[in-house]
Amino acid sequence: MSHRVTRLLTSLVLAAAAALPAAPLAAAEHPIVIVIHGGAGVIERSHMSPEREASYRAGLGAALDAGYAVLEHGGSSLDAVGAAIRTMEDDPQFNAGRGAVLNHDGFCELDAAIMDGSGPRAGAVAGVHHVRNPIDLARLVMDKSPHVLLAGQGAEEFALEQGVGLVPASYFITPQRVRELEEEKRAAAGREPRGMGTVGALALDAKGHLAAGTSTGGISNKLYGRVGDTPIIGAGTYASESCAVSGTGQGEFYIRQVVAYDICAMVQYQHLPLAKAVDTMIHDKLKRTGGEGGVIALDRDGNYAMDFNSAGMHRGVRDSRGHREIAMYRDAN
Amino acid sequence: MYAIAIHGGAGAVPRATLSSEREQRYRAGLEAALDGGYAVLERGGSALDAVTAAVRILEDDPCFNAGRGAALTRDGAAELDAAIMDGRQQRAGAVASVRHVKNPIELARRVMEKSRHVLLVGPGAEEFALEEGLALVPNLYFRTPERQAQLEHEQRGERVSDLVPPVHGTVGAVACDRAGNLAAATSTGGMTNKRPGRVGDSPIIGAGTYAKNGVCAVSATGHGEYFIRAVAAHHVCAAVEYRGLSLELAMRELLHDILSGLGGDGGLIGVDRDGRIVMDFSTEGMYRGARDSAGRSEIAIYPTRDSTKIAP
Repeated sequence: MSHRVTRLLTSLVLAAAAALPAAPLAAAEHPIVIVIHGGAGVIERSHMSPEREASYRAGLGAALDAGYAVLEHGGSSLDAVGAAIRTMEDDPQFNAGRGAVLNHDGFCELDAAIMDGSGPRAGAVAGVHHVRNPIDLARLVMDKSPHVLLAGQGAEEFALEQGVGLVPASYFITPQRVRELEEEKRAAAGREPRGMGTVGALALDAKGHLAAGTSTGGISNKLYGRVGDTPIIGAGTYASESCAVSGTGQGEFYIRQVVAYDICAMVQYQHLPLAKAVDTMIHDKLKRTGGEGGVIALDRDGNYAMDFNSAGMHRGVRDSRGHREIAMYRDAN
Repeated sequence: MYAIAIHGGAGAVPRATLSSEREQRYRAGLEAALDGGYAVLERGGSALDAVTAAVRILEDDPCFNAGRGAALTRDGAAELDAAIMDGRQQRAGAVASVRHVKNPIELARRVMEKSRHVLLVGPGAEEFALEEGLALVPNLYFRTPERQAQLEHEQRGERVSDLVPPVHGTVGAVACDRAGNLAAATSTGGMTNKRPGRVGDSPIIGAGTYAKNGVCAVSATGHGEYFIRAVAAHHVCAAVEYRGLSLELAMRELLHDILSGLGGDGGLIGVDRDGRIVMDFSTEGMYRGARDSAGRSEIAIYPTRDSTKIAP
């Protein structure tokens, strides 16, 4: 008994500031669901050692379970999305928070956004250098400021005002990313940027509320000041009462096509099933313009889609129907 | 048919508080921008060049909240955002939080044409400006006594509505050229007394600025946070493209149902694939102008039929 209480308390602490009711979930008409991605890109079996693959799967599993634990204890979709993304931001394998890719000048510039589908409310930050968990700062922008998007130094000033401690820029830098930047700089100039390891999460909670969140270091060797689709509401991140989307890919293409919102608009106005709208966006609209990447999407009935036009995408889903899946390659594994 | 529409911001502009000299200055500024943009279209130029020209003129005019004369942040500096979108291939460029770029719309255009990115912010955007050979100007260049006074009043908690209208003073332009190409551009200093680093809807593709050939081009002005959450400009395009609504109905629904429902106000200008211009707002007034090759030519501020018809 005391063990269970301890575990519950631990979960509560993990689930951040929100006070969660400890009561068991009432049987709902819809399942509770969490869907995550850890980036799309060149993810092929032939390039992956068994150790690295196991390590990615463990990282994705930890994020998935952290988010699901929040939902399971009756927590909100917003808190679940925050918990899942924070886990991946802290994991140096993923291109967000620690282990984010480096810009042309050799440091990390981080972007993140979160959106509450039942508001709609949203918060986002762009180009922050010293915030350990940008997704938490995005949440504070949403909850504690009248604004939606804060950029650069102004965003960090806001972090300090909110009592969020800053970390040195070196905290984010890993040897792997330094090597990648060097390779990228040696590669032919003008080549389309690689490395699309953005992380994201979507959740449907017991109350039927949807939320979406995304966090990233952007693309390796990017220009100082470059902002991608991640913190742009409607492009890389979007949630309404009926539909939530998080993207990962060549952000410039996602911005121009307003990818996340456009998927929800196709569902709402053209009455496409969610998976069909995602398919149209990823394999038709995006591909036609040369944009590469993927998205995860979730609707209020618990239907989800995880699709990409790149070689692979780190992804996972877990729901109260007993489904738990982690995959990274094309062939659903 | 070719056409251009511009806006110089929406907000509470009580007629009684707007002196006639001031009103004349605003009308003259709008007319100069409309002329500048229309001249490009008339000589066969692109919609993209037309919106760039019009917004540039509004940025240089200290009456409007963009470029010189922009609203000031709470620490007294101008911090500028701008975006431009070409409906042809839906290429886009944007900058946010720049403090030393004389014409942010020009830098947004360079981002679109000379970088592989869409949005650059802050010092990184200014670094790019220098690499592109654009000279930087001191932040003081943007500051005007009116904006300084407006900031001081705002910080003392006094009403400022009659000092420098309008409240949401973003500027923007949309155009349709002879070839049927659409473009949209928006530029702003944001809200007076804003927190440094705050970015509104103007540089957010899909929120404050959007253009897609065959559908429509839209530029917004208003309470930016609401326009971001509603993905306003793209919402209008999606309503036209997916639901077959007229541009007029799509804009009316967004402004008067969706945004009003959320508590946000502002205005929109748009042009559809046939060159039809629509200008709508939920505020007391919106500085605006429209001209097309079918003979429409007007400058207006209030919702009533106060348009000054200009001889084409």
